Amino acid sequence: MNKRVLSFFVIAFLTGCQMRVLNPKSDTADTLTNLIYLSFGIMMLVLIVVFVLFVYFLRKFRERGKAKFNIPPDEKENKWLEITWTIVPVLLLAILAVPTVKATYDLTSKVSGSAGGSKGDAMIVEVVGQQYNWKFTYENGKESYDELVLPVDQEVQFRLTSNDVIHSFWIPNLSGKIDVLPGEMTKLSFEPREEGTYQGKCAEFCGAEHTLMRFETKVMSQQSFENWVQEE
Amino acid sequence: MNGMNVPFIGEVPSDIVVSWIVTILLGAALFWWLTTRRKWPLVWDYMTTTDNRKIGTMYILLSMVFFIRGGIDAMFIRTQLAIPENDFWVFQSQKYNEVFTTHGTVMIFFVSMPLLIGLMNIAVPLQLGANDLAFPYLNAISFWLFVAGGVIFNMAFFFNAAPNAGWTSYAPLATDTFTTGPNNNYYIFGLQVSGLGTIFTAINMIVTIFRLRAPGMKMTRMPLFSWATLITSFLIMIAFPVLTIALLLLMFDRIYGTSFFLGEYGDPVYWQHLFWIFGHPEVYILILPAFGIFSDVISTFSRKRVYGYTSMVVAIALIGLLGFMVWAHHMFTVGLGALANSIFAITTMLIAVPTGIKVFNWLFTMRKGVVRITTPMLFSLGFIPTFVIGGVTGVMLAVAAADYQYHDSYFVVAHFHYTMIGGTILGAFAGIYYWYPKMTGKMLDEKLGKWHFWLFIIGFHLTFMPQHFAGLNGMPRRVYTYTWEDGVFLLNFVSTIGAFLMGASMLFVAWNLYKTHRLTDPVGADPWDGRTLEWTVGSPAPEHPFQPVPQINSIDAYWYSKVERKRLPESEEARPSPIAIQTVAPVLLAGVLIVMSVGFIYGWVWMQIIGGIAALGFFIYRVFNDERKAVYRKEEES
Amino acid sequence: MKQTSEVLFNDKRLGFFLYLVVEAIMFATLFATYILYTPSSRGADPTEVYELRTVILTSVFLLSSSGTLLIAESGLENWNRLKIWIGLGTTFLLGSIFMGLEIHEFYKYWSEGYTLTMNNFLASFYVLVGLHASHVAFGLVWMILLMVQLKQTMPKSLFKEKHKIFNYYWHFVDVIWVLIILIVYAPYLF
Repeated sequence: MNKRVLSFFVIAFLTGCQMRVLNPKSDTADTLTNLIYLSFGIMMLVLIVVFVLFVYFLRKFRERGKAKFNIPPDEKENKWLEITWTIVPVLLLAILAVPTVKATYDLTSKVSGSAGGSKGDAMIVEVVGQQYNWKFTYENGKESYDELVLPVDQEVQFRLTSNDVIHSFWIPNLSGKIDVLPGEMTKLSFEPREEGTYQGKCAEFCGAEHTLMRFETKVMSQQSFENWVQEE
Repeated sequence: MNGMNVPFIGEVPSDIVVSWIVTILLGAALFWWLTTRRKWPLVWDYMTTTDNRKIGTMYILLSMVFFIRGGIDAMFIRTQLAIPENDFWVFQSQKYNEVFTTHGTVMIFFVSMPLLIGLMNIAVPLQLGANDLAFPYLNAISFWLFVAGGVIFNMAFFFNAAPNAGWTSYAPLATDTFTTGPNNNYYIFGLQVSGLGTIFTAINMIVTIFRLRAPGMKMTRMPLFSWATLITSFLIMIAFPVLTIALLLLMFDRIYGTSFFLGEYGDPVYWQHLFWIFGHPEVYILILPAFGIFSDVISTFSRKRVYGYTSMVVAIALIGLLGFMVWAHHMFTVGLGALANSIFAITTMLIAVPTGIKVFNWLFTMRKGVVRITTPMLFSLGFIPTFVIGGVTGVMLAVAAADYQYHDSYFVVAHFHYTMIGGTILGAFAGIYYWYPKMTGKMLDEKLGKWHFWLFIIGFHLTFMPQHFAGLNGMPRRVYTYTWEDGVFLLNFVSTIGAFLMGASMLFVAWNLYKTHRLTDPVGADPWDGRTLEWTVGSPAPEHPFQPVPQINSIDAYWYSKVERKRLPESEEARPSPIAIQTVAPVLLAGVLIVMSVGFIYGWVWMQIIGGIAALGFFIYRVFNDERKAVYRKEEES
Repeated sequence: MKQTSEVLFNDKRLGFFLYLVVEAIMFATLFATYILYTPSSRGADPTEVYELRTVILTSVFLLSSSGTLLIAESGLENWNRLKIWIGLGTTFLLGSIFMGLEIHEFYKYWSEGYTLTMNNFLASFYVLVGLHASHVAFGLVWMILLMVQLKQTMPKSLFKEKHKIFNYYWHFVDVIWVLIILIVYAPYLF
């Protein structure tokens, strides 16, 4: 059974290149995807060790006709083994913790924080979430609903707030989530590097039609963006 | 198809009408069965009992009823999500939200917790050599408060007012500004009443474990299930009061117009802090007793003492302690800042260490043993790889930055089902098969038990493995449909098939119960060749089972006495036992609290007052009807 | 074999102490709520609401009631019914006066317009201090029941047990009051 599960996991993961989260199209999303692969790799190591021991012990020590009434010798514990399986996971987690903290600091200063962490030339888009749509306001005052248009290769900073309940802003290909809170402003920034249309969603349950609170993100060339944003 | 007009109530969705009909039919059938079989005296006996075995059995029985309810909710969810842009029956929009809210709440508070508490009731006193829990009367109160909470919460659906803000009931969505009507009031009072019962159970368990152990049963000789119960009880004692207050504040927001969690002046994130300060320990409350069950089961069926007993105990304690330091990992995306996120990421990762220690100790308990694969052992064996998968995805989720991607997606849904079903539910099943002789005196059929296991575990992995990938492909949780372009159709379809397989596996449980009780003979005290004290007393465990009380000289004392072919020595210095009585008062208290809660839920002040006076009346009644009076008087006379 | 009443009392005492821990956590959560929301950005400020006189008066009565309860406790030790009566009676009296003052305080604030819904400072004040007041009220009912039981014939050991459990409760309620003075009132009165 375990082999089956394992192979399913691996095959499905290999086909994962098409999955939105694992198919990043911005600098922020790149960092996240790399972290996901790193943590997945380390965790697979743990998983394989446990599965191998599990299968081996089960096959070797399973009760058979003769041994049925055997009473195995009494054993309590082995200090060195206990220390091993305490220290090794700690080391593995330390390996994981360093890039985690680094990425968290890099991205979170972009996500919230007063400085915003952007280089200063970021384009600012104000986002208002409300039951059940998204309003985007660009620097020149242009507004759009449920359609976010961004220029390629240009860092963009979102300033998000909500008119009613908590929402969460998520474009799987371009970045992780940031919650959209009433009465507060959160921030998020990234730089898309490929033109295309990406799905955006509300990820925090926000009421009856939470499901329908989606938007489309169109990343286009600088020129097309200029044309679009100047329209009307 | 979508609704029907009922006089005085108005438009009612058809699923509720169907549930009314089904409930009436089943109720009539049950009444008929109880009457023709002359079972009413038995029902009365159980209703008025304070015996730990009977109360434990009722806990499990009722949780199974709620399990069916929550399971049917799950089937509706999976059917609605089977194909893209689906319109199954009534389960879209708010109706779907109600279904997943009740599914989550019922499964956590009215299935997982009472299943484990039921097993604690049955096994812990027996494992310690105690004749009952420390406070038998309070134990009955706890149980009937759980019943009252369950009734209140489930009533909501029958009156077309099921809660609809998710089991986390996030503000401000859960305040009356955004969810009007009585719906989420049901959530508040259902949890409040049953939560009080849970707190009393925790106190009862702690006192039992500290003070009612048999002579010589040092703490360091206790079976691991008892240890897990002790630590769990402390977690309950610390976590549940926070929920009580959070619900109290939410109640003020909803009913009395305050704005603790509301938009402009309140702080919606404060609700999240309070909820998760309770909520994260809660998931360890659900998993630690299961760990305890697995430890005992794996040790019994490997015919070896548990490997690394000391580190197992330390690990449980560490998990419990760390459980209080990780709550904000549910809130990585609310913008708490890099420092907070990093700290909570690291504390969360740390929990993997004691959990890993436990996994390796289980594996090494089997090593060099004689592993007998019975149904409880099979559930324990299924648990190890399943839970480890849930554990590693847990570490992946702990990576704060990466969690910006996983958060509130189906990846999380998959993760917590791997831990909650793979841990808690498999543990509860293992415990039920294992201790079934102690509850009923009979043994469940092994062959049907194995069918149950295999269908359940295969169905489980089919259901939840694909959900990881649905999450990675951008499917948020709590959505009632998705589009073809989302590219998650196949994943969801497989998931639905798996869910129905899990549902089908439960039919084998029903068949097994029927077969066991109609066709098999009672078993003896020790059908599994067990190691701990519960296997020294008869099956089912009698009231006051330990007469005389044994003297304990080592861990797994019963096992070693069997190996040496000796009887356990009798103790000369046993302490007096708690006093058991027959009383219907706890049932009445439950009724009173239901009345009072309904008064609050619908804002009927007269009903609140009646309920309040009746509740106070219960205290007065209790003061003058103390079962200790007769016992103490006898003592004073002699 | 040990005395049944003694063993069962020790069980009950441990259980009740654990229950008080539960209560303490509930109050701690409410204190945190109060600290978080006080003072509020709009509506009344605590400095304009609180009155030193009321706080001192209520404190005097409630804290001294913990002292008079000690009389009853010493009466329990060597079964002096008179002492128990005096102790319980004065404690009840002081507790009732506290209750009266507390109701008056709430009523006064309310009639001055400082209502529950004015802002989150007042909301958390009323919930926290109100929960404490309801504990005092419950304690008063409990004392009446104890006095009724003292008149009845019941095993001495059982009455002692019930009385002692009440004592823990009453002292606990007093400790919470001290914390209320320190955390709720003091920062805005001095």
